[in-house]
Amino acid sequence: MKRSHCFFWGILPAAVLIALFFITPAIWGVYTSLTNMALVGKAAKHLQFIGFQNYVRLFRDSAFFTSIINSMWYVVGGAIIGQFLLGLGLALFLEYTESNKIKGGNIVYGFVMLAWITPALVSGFEWGAMYDFYYGTLNNILKLFSLSKINWLGEVPMLSVIIANIWQGTAFTMLVLNSALKTIPFELYESAKIDGSSRWQSIRYITLPLIKNIAIVDLISITIATFGAFLMIMAITSGGPGMKTTTLSLYAYRSAFENYRIGYGCSISMILMIINLVFGLTYLKFLKKLS
Amino acid sequence: MLVKSKYIGICLIVTLMILGIVILISASEKVTIKVWYPDEFGVKPKYVDQAAEAFRKDFPNVNLEIARFKLPPGDFKTKLLLALASGEGPDVIHYSGESNIAEFADAGYIVPLDEYVNAWPDYTQYPNAVKDGVTYDGHVYAIPYGLDMRWLYYNKNIFKAVGLPVPWQPKSWNDIINAAIVIKERAPDKIPYILYAGVAGSGGTLSHGFLPLFYGAGGQLYNYNTGKWIVNSSAYRKTLEHYRQAYLDYKLVPQEVMTLPKPWTTMRQKMFTGELGILCEGGWVYGGAIYTLGLEETEKMAGYTIMPSEDGKFFFTIGGSGTVWYVCSQSKHPELAWEYIKRFNSKEIVAKICLETPHPVARIDSANLPEYKAQKYLVDCTKALEYAKFLPLQSELNQVAYRIQLLTSRVASGETSIEEAMGKYVNEMKLDLGEDKVEITE
Amino acid sequence: MQNKVRLMVIYFIFIIILIYFSLPSLWLFLSVFNVHASPFIEVPRKPTLINFIKIFKDYNFSTYLFNSIFVSSITMILVTLVASLAGYSLSRWDSKYKNTLIYSILLLYAIPISATMIPIYSLMRVLHLRNNYLGLILIYTAGQLPFLIWIIQQFFDTIPSDIEEAAWIDGGSYLRTLFSIVMPIAKPGVAVIAVLSFRAAWSESVLVIVLIDSQNLQTIPRAFFEAVKTMGGSAIEYQYEIVATMGLFFLIPLMIIFLIMNKYFVRGGMLGGAIK
Repeated sequence: MKRSHCFFWGILPAAVLIALFFITPAIWGVYTSLTNMALVGKAAKHLQFIGFQNYVRLFRDSAFFTSIINSMWYVVGGAIIGQFLLGLGLALFLEYTESNKIKGGNIVYGFVMLAWITPALVSGFEWGAMYDFYYGTLNNILKLFSLSKINWLGEVPMLSVIIANIWQGTAFTMLVLNSALKTIPFELYESAKIDGSSRWQSIRYITLPLIKNIAIVDLISITIATFGAFLMIMAITSGGPGMKTTTLSLYAYRSAFENYRIGYGCSISMILMIINLVFGLTYLKFLKKLS
Repeated sequence: MLVKSKYIGICLIVTLMILGIVILISASEKVTIKVWYPDEFGVKPKYVDQAAEAFRKDFPNVNLEIARFKLPPGDFKTKLLLALASGEGPDVIHYSGESNIAEFADAGYIVPLDEYVNAWPDYTQYPNAVKDGVTYDGHVYAIPYGLDMRWLYYNKNIFKAVGLPVPWQPKSWNDIINAAIVIKERAPDKIPYILYAGVAGSGGTLSHGFLPLFYGAGGQLYNYNTGKWIVNSSAYRKTLEHYRQAYLDYKLVPQEVMTLPKPWTTMRQKMFTGELGILCEGGWVYGGAIYTLGLEETEKMAGYTIMPSEDGKFFFTIGGSGTVWYVCSQSKHPELAWEYIKRFNSKEIVAKICLETPHPVARIDSANLPEYKAQKYLVDCTKALEYAKFLPLQSELNQVAYRIQLLTSRVASGETSIEEAMGKYVNEMKLDLGEDKVEITE
Repeated sequence: MQNKVRLMVIYFIFIIILIYFSLPSLWLFLSVFNVHASPFIEVPRKPTLINFIKIFKDYNFSTYLFNSIFVSSITMILVTLVASLAGYSLSRWDSKYKNTLIYSILLLYAIPISATMIPIYSLMRVLHLRNNYLGLILIYTAGQLPFLIWIIQQFFDTIPSDIEEAAWIDGGSYLRTLFSIVMPIAKPGVAVIAVLSFRAAWSESVLVIVLIDSQNLQTIPRAFFEAVKTMGGSAIEYQYEIVATMGLFFLIPLMIIFLIMNKYFVRGGMLGGAIK
């Protein structure tokens, strides 16, 4: 039928670009994880196919498991709980204030956005200025109230980077869900009000179900993005103290671009990819259940 | 159909562009020497260009391309390695030496310079210790010009205020600990002692923290006879003991040092503002102090001395080859590459650049130039180099350095005992390097 | 009375949120007016505007700015077109492969960039697409597509296809329907992916190292390193006031794009009634 032809052609440009510039490197990456590829040292001269040796070594590396646990904390705390709930809350809250003609929503929206568009290097400095033990803003505020200084990056490093992560990432969820909220026809709320529902009931029975698709998409994307994020952590704590804030993605980056053991780094990335997939598929199953 | 023709159109354009670029690239075919180096707000470009001028005068028909990459060293290394891995490296590389020498040589990226240096009369001006610092596997692979060394800095003002001797020469590790204890008791608002540990200290943990102690306990990291890394010995334990005393027993070093994202920035700042008693750091910090505080202020405040061994039987400093010059193996004209390197490493340029970025010089005749000799600090640095011990020039050094960072932080933070930390370290080294590359001595 | 209390609570919440999100940025806004900024928040003793001039005069910022604008705009346009086409097609396609395709797109997004960086280097080198914008834009586009197609497809899914059915029956062509009827309704979705695409290209800093060598083709994320001053060893120190000022100019275009796109984030609800 003519229509399905059109659809096929519509997908084609995207498919070609993705196949050539995305899938090809990805397959290469999978292959590399099975080699001992390195950019320096003896291995650089002799590229060898070593099968699953990298993975075997991974499972004997305690740093690997530490980084997985750190990633879990970071993603669950930062993305799933932090960014998502705060983003959803903000989207609903701003909808509410806007529809009730309360001013000020735009300023809040603007500053939340500002956090999101700040580049990693600069956010690293901004949060460094907040968390520094001696000269940091947070400790200065504590001093004002005669409280003792907290060693943010020393005692509670994971919490500190999670707070920074929520600060940076929430805007995305807020943006996406806000747009989704705007596609809900006003009439639905009207008729619900007429039928006597309260505000919370409207939210529960109209809003949430209608945005669940986008919400799940949002969850998937912030989960994957947060698993892959490391620039900001590197800028604030360099993964320290010790390994306390080294997530899986940071560990992969280190192996590949600080130690130049590309094969090993790729195998870590592959594990990261598998974890991403598991989360993604779980979310989708959840979505199916809700439908 | 519109979509179809749009798509074909895009494909055609892409193909044409690719063809065009290919043609352009194959068109240029002159003899080209490419020099790559990273530098930001630095002093190097002036001298690199000076040498380039000298080169171009002597070789007018050669196309000399200087590429200065405004990148941090790590990113430059990534870019360089990627280019080398695909056979598109430059002819001359101007980058830091130390562990890179072994790594690059093992990967086959740089050529041994023996035949060139042996035919170069100036080479006799380089002391043997310096030559050793760039020799790997029996071959000279790089030409250094400004070396690194480390001092045990102490704040003369604080020392005088608490009654410690100035000038200060500790004769044992206990002297250092005791001096720090005195500072802690009599000047409680100052930080007594800074000893880098952990991953945050990065290279500093090994070079300014661990090794100044480890070598002083008679320790060796790499056994040149057996070709294995020594991963446990009494020197390790003694060094970790000192860490524990400094961080935990007497609390002379604040725990925050291990968590500050860039401890060297904060610690240098504290040294400049006079809040720090004792600090082991690189010689360049003195230059930073001169830049920030001025020469007079710095001379009044900053004292420096070399490291004592554990029991005072000998004294030393940790040397480093600094930024060096390599000839790339992918160069089609290595002799020309060498000609350029020679012109940069002339007596005058070496002296001048080491004056501007205070560094001890690699060649003795540069040190004898009057402007250089007039700088007391630089003369001291150059003298100290006679007692320099260097890091082992092996390609696995970076991995070892990382594990030592973890080792020191585990002990200094109290996360584990010394025995447990050593246990983990030994396992990690076996994992990283392979069981057959490690050994344990007494 | 109850309204007043409610208003106070709402403003209280506003303030808490504002503090959280704006406090760190205070560093940026204070440092740009400082001649010698520090890595910590401090009020400049002698506020000055000189940094704004400095970055263009001494640090070559205009080149970086122009490059970033060019690359990001083209990427945004390309991505929006290709993704909308693909997303719409996927949304309306009735095929047993549909779900598999959608899930595969999700799978792709799960691949981390650290695995693909070096293969991308080799691939682009072989295609002679290194060190030019064509290669960079293509890679950016390909990298953004999986995720953005997914998003816009979800948006299209929420739009019932009745209107298009009507247009089809009336003899309208596929593309015309898409652009004149569907897109206007999906404006919020399209605006979202345009903004996301621009932002992603604007902030991208890793692939630029891998793909671009020439100094005059660099984009803003690389400009920050002009402000570095090393004092030896592996230590990197920055001229913080320059970093902050560059950061400010990094933010401003993004803010502008957001403000422009904002007017497309309109309630679609009014059109919803048209279907009935």
